[in-house]
Amino acid sequence: MVGGLSVTVGLFAITLVFSIPLGVLVAGLRMSKNQLLSNLTKLYIWIFRGTPLILQVVFFYYGLPNLGIRLDPFPTAAMAFVINYTAYFAEIFRGGIQSIDRGQHEAADVLGMTKAQTMMRIILPQAFKRVLPAVGNEAITLVKDSALVYVISLSDLLRVVTVASIRDFTVTPFFVAAVLYLLMTFVLEQVLAYVEARFSYYE
Amino acid sequence: MNETGVPIVEAQGIYKRFGELEVLCGIDLKVSKGEVVALIGPSGSGKSTLLRSINVLERIDRGSIAIDGSPMVQETQGKAQYVSDTELRRMRRKMGMVFQNFNLFPHMSVLENVMVAPVQVLGRSKREAEEKAMDLLGKVGLLDKATNYPYEISGGQKQRVAIARALAMDPELLCFDEPTSALDPELTGEVLKTMQDLARERMTMLVVTHEIGFARDVADRVVFMDRGVVVEEGTSREVLSAPSHPRLKAFLGLVDR
Repeated sequence: MVGGLSVTVGLFAITLVFSIPLGVLVAGLRMSKNQLLSNLTKLYIWIFRGTPLILQVVFFYYGLPNLGIRLDPFPTAAMAFVINYTAYFAEIFRGGIQSIDRGQHEAADVLGMTKAQTMMRIILPQAFKRVLPAVGNEAITLVKDSALVYVISLSDLLRVVTVASIRDFTVTPFFVAAVLYLLMTFVLEQVLAYVEARFSYYE
Repeated sequence: MNETGVPIVEAQGIYKRFGELEVLCGIDLKVSKGEVVALIGPSGSGKSTLLRSINVLERIDRGSIAIDGSPMVQETQGKAQYVSDTELRRMRRKMGMVFQNFNLFPHMSVLENVMVAPVQVLGRSKREAEEKAMDLLGKVGLLDKATNYPYEISGGQKQRVAIARALAMDPELLCFDEPTSALDPELTGEVLKTMQDLARERMTMLVVTHEIGFARDVADRVVFMDRGVVVEEGTSREVLSAPSHPRLKAFLGLVDR
């Protein structure tokens, strides 16, 4: 059970740590004036938001070896999750960035700030605050999506309890799993509430 | 007024259109150092667009603009050619801008709003920037609001912070785009007074305004625009007390009461 929990939590943590910064980066590429970059990014987002995550996980697991890339199940799952969640986060961040008033760009402009300074100091800090609820939503979904790795025989929480349930002829393990998922999302909600409170010092 | 020096702004033959709409149709404008120029005119006359063009918030289609004697945009073969972005940023530092809607940074305290550009753009130390910022906040009468956030202060106070923020960059020209239009009438006075103080210190200012009283009392020169052209310009006394053009007469009759 502890092993299953650590796979779930590990996958959750790795996905968030990588896909949030990558999401900001991809959002930037998506808004790029370079049409090629912007269109390639659109294509990537379309593919990874437009197909089931479970399909992507299976595809990476069975497909990559055909390309000569052999990875253990966990890195394979982590890769698929990061690529998938980055696509979602990119669109969330793009929405956040574009929701910031034009006047903020203009004010930074006339003060002589560079585009990078404007982004880092003025736009992103405000955009982050606005997208926090949406990011929190994704994070909660991610806890539960992690159960999908079950299909590539990774021993996450769901797989561990399923095995236990079959072995012992009882559904109790599923209740235990449900309680554990609820506990994880409860803790996560507290963290999110704390972060939102930290950002609520203005307006 | 400094008649011999290089003008801080010299714009010639400015044309600018938004789609089908020709907003600026051959505008000339010159602002000398130490001068306060009021740009007046009905809504849609192009006065804000002209101001924004000088600040490079809009790019003109044709014409030339020189800032403090060096060309920022020049016309070659009927098209406006701008200098490089780096050069533009450098020239922009000579100009400050105060917006109608303040555009303060909401996630920063009043003090941080005034400090951020000197630290980031001019590379000043935090201590130096803070000292100067406190100085300026004192000057606009907001020392006690330094740690407040923009949402906690009134519109008039916001606009004075915006003025302090622009002054923190030591601009040679301060531009105002209808600085009191978003304010309740009882709050316009404090902003106009701050501007009047600046004028007394011989700060060069270019002010787009609907406040005819301000133009009359504070501006050295008044430029009246309508439908994308300068219809009449001269000293505030000439333009406001003895208007010659019928459109200006109508405009003054309309707004001055």
